Amino acid sequence: MSARDLSTGFLPIVLVVALLALVPLFVTSNTILNFLVFTLIIALAAQGWNLLAGYGGQFSFGHAAFFGTGAYAAAILQVNLGVNAYVAFLVGIGLGALVGFVIGYLSFRSGLKGSYFALVTLAFAEVLRILANSAGFTGGAAGILIPLDVSAWNFQFESRGAYYWVALALVAAVLVLNRAIERARFGAQLVAVRENEAAARALGVDALSVKLKAIALSGAITAAAGGLYAQYFLYLDALIAYGPWISIEALLAPIVGGLGTVFGPLVGALALHGLSEASKLFVGEIPGIDLVIFGAVLILVVAFAPDGVMGVIGRVRRRLGGVSAKTSPASAAAPAPAPAPTREETPA
Amino acid sequence: MSKSTFSITRRTLLQGAAATTALVAAPAYLRAQSAPIKVGILQPVTGALAFDGQQGRIGAELAIEMINGAGGIDGQMIEPVFGDARSTPEGGTAEVEKMQAEGVVAIVGGFASPICLASSQAASRYDLPYLVDVGVSDQIVSRGLTNTFRFGPGFGKVTQQALENLVKINEAAGNPAKTVVLVHEDGLFGSGLAQLLQNELPKRGFEVLQTLAHPTPARDMSNIALQIRAANPDLVIPSSYYGEFVLLARTMQQQRIQPKGIYAVLNGAASNFRFVQEFPDAAENVMDCNHWHDPRKEESQALLERVRADGNVWTYNIPLNYSNVKLLADAIARAGSTERTAIRDALAASTFEDHVMPYGPTQFVDGQNQGAAPVNTQVQGGDIKVIFPEDFADAEAVFPVT
Repeated sequence: MSARDLSTGFLPIVLVVALLALVPLFVTSNTILNFLVFTLIIALAAQGWNLLAGYGGQFSFGHAAFFGTGAYAAAILQVNLGVNAYVAFLVGIGLGALVGFVIGYLSFRSGLKGSYFALVTLAFAEVLRILANSAGFTGGAAGILIPLDVSAWNFQFESRGAYYWVALALVAAVLVLNRAIERARFGAQLVAVRENEAAARALGVDALSVKLKAIALSGAITAAAGGLYAQYFLYLDALIAYGPWISIEALLAPIVGGLGTVFGPLVGALALHGLSEASKLFVGEIPGIDLVIFGAVLILVVAFAPDGVMGVIGRVRRRLGGVSAKTSPASAAAPAPAPAPTREETPA
Repeated sequence: MSKSTFSITRRTLLQGAAATTALVAAPAYLRAQSAPIKVGILQPVTGALAFDGQQGRIGAELAIEMINGAGGIDGQMIEPVFGDARSTPEGGTAEVEKMQAEGVVAIVGGFASPICLASSQAASRYDLPYLVDVGVSDQIVSRGLTNTFRFGPGFGKVTQQALENLVKINEAAGNPAKTVVLVHEDGLFGSGLAQLLQNELPKRGFEVLQTLAHPTPARDMSNIALQIRAANPDLVIPSSYYGEFVLLARTMQQQRIQPKGIYAVLNGAASNFRFVQEFPDAAENVMDCNHWHDPRKEESQALLERVRADGNVWTYNIPLNYSNVKLLADAIARAGSTERTAIRDALAASTFEDHVMPYGPTQFVDGQNQGAAPVNTQVQGGDIKVIFPEDFADAEAVFPVT
């Protein structure tokens, strides 16, 4: 990789992460840090979704299956088996990848695509939710509580800032991973499968293998978000871990931020949750009015910026004329935005 | 040379010095009189639990209004800092952080167990006293958190009491009920409760014919009702949230399924005037073991009338939050300071009895109020009556119904 590649591809990541890493040094408000930690956890889950759907074109409605697996693994291994929190966290990531592989193998082998694949993932997440709700070792409907024992050895920190840095480090690692994938053969194959699977196959791409790799990686990343959630909030039940809320959060952030772009999930999560918090500031005591404003603004954003915030940034840069579309590092590195799911719905 | 207009005369100097001395020498208490005491009122006022959250907020607001109307806490007014937990644990945690930033001295509320678990834990990082209003999960007070107090009863206590009272009510009627069908929602309390009842009822002479689970929300209860009809039990014990129980009761009424009794435990509807007013026929004679105010106390009756006069529905959230805020105010007054550790210690040592619940003086052991207990209610003639314990029952149980 040339020095130019490094500077155009990874420099923006280094700059953004370095800038974000400074935040706890200047922001002492735990309210803001708590908001940022939660937003970064969502961003991490969304990065996992973006890898599979944004780059690979396989839209999932059930990323809760991975999030919940990572979260439950972290909690159960610690509480029931006394495993160290970091080991439990890593095992959770591995199990997330495994669940991804199993779901991918079962559905991709059957040739499921587009909305059919989306519905199957939704069903998997729901099945896991119901199982977790009734099984004894998950704590059943009463949920599972990780005992509060603040110590770095237990992956529990006194300050919100420490959690923030851990979450940011994970998000940064995935940013780098995504950029590396974009530039690797695997990334090109993934985009080829997204754009036209039949053509990719004709060119010798093993579509099944590519999609399986993508869903396993995607599962691992989203499971990391689940594990981090468990360590941060220390309480889980089936609805939190496998509930539809996280599946929606994970897909909403990249769609708003920019599908199939490195920064899309992070920008989307920050924009969505920032908007949600900002709308709370501007309203009075009427419960839920902030959600109304949030919903209205979201509709406007999706209506007028269908390619997400990153798309708007790209358009503004091009309009300013400083950087042409072809030479722009972001647009050169990122593949074209993913097509709408309906274009994928060719009969299996 | 003329005298400077800015010169200070001896008299002015003395006056100024006297005023300053008086101000500095005044007790901190007097100086702080104008500063209100901020109390966090955390409820899920949006999302799936919005109704309960709004009811809880009404109770807390009325208590604050009453305390402030009577001169506040030693002259200092209570200023509520409202938070919306959005029906999620992370929503509750975020609000705790905001309340901490706003300088509240304690937090009351949470409603659902997951919200209470996460929020009280977030508050414990700041030694911020947290009073759980409803959350029944026994995990809430078994974590060793010194900041967390629960005024109401927990799950274990409620189920134990529900079983004991059921046996007594049945015995008093000559043991007409021998067979039971359990209907429960498949979430936090429903499943746990069903399992416990399944184990305990046979030990007390009841035969459990069937255990029927349903999801929340459920849109149709016909299948459940048909299975109840097929089993033909003496007693139906439902543990569900509001919508599902209303649906079940109505379906049973439509299909003319009439067991000898419906004995609900911690039910979302059976002790809810909305259900009683909207579906009086389906609600008639339904028994419940739940949180309820003490009908003997004048203050509880006055509170009930006030809530109705405001056009609101009476649910147990109101007296529980009302009592919790009063308990906190008493602790602050006894602590003589708004220091968190002092309030926490005052709560732990509290023997407060000026509340509207049927608990007697408070006595906290590991954060749990030992006197807290549920009561048995029954819908009779379009009203909700207390039928058990006998000490403060305002009606006798109608059992068996058929």
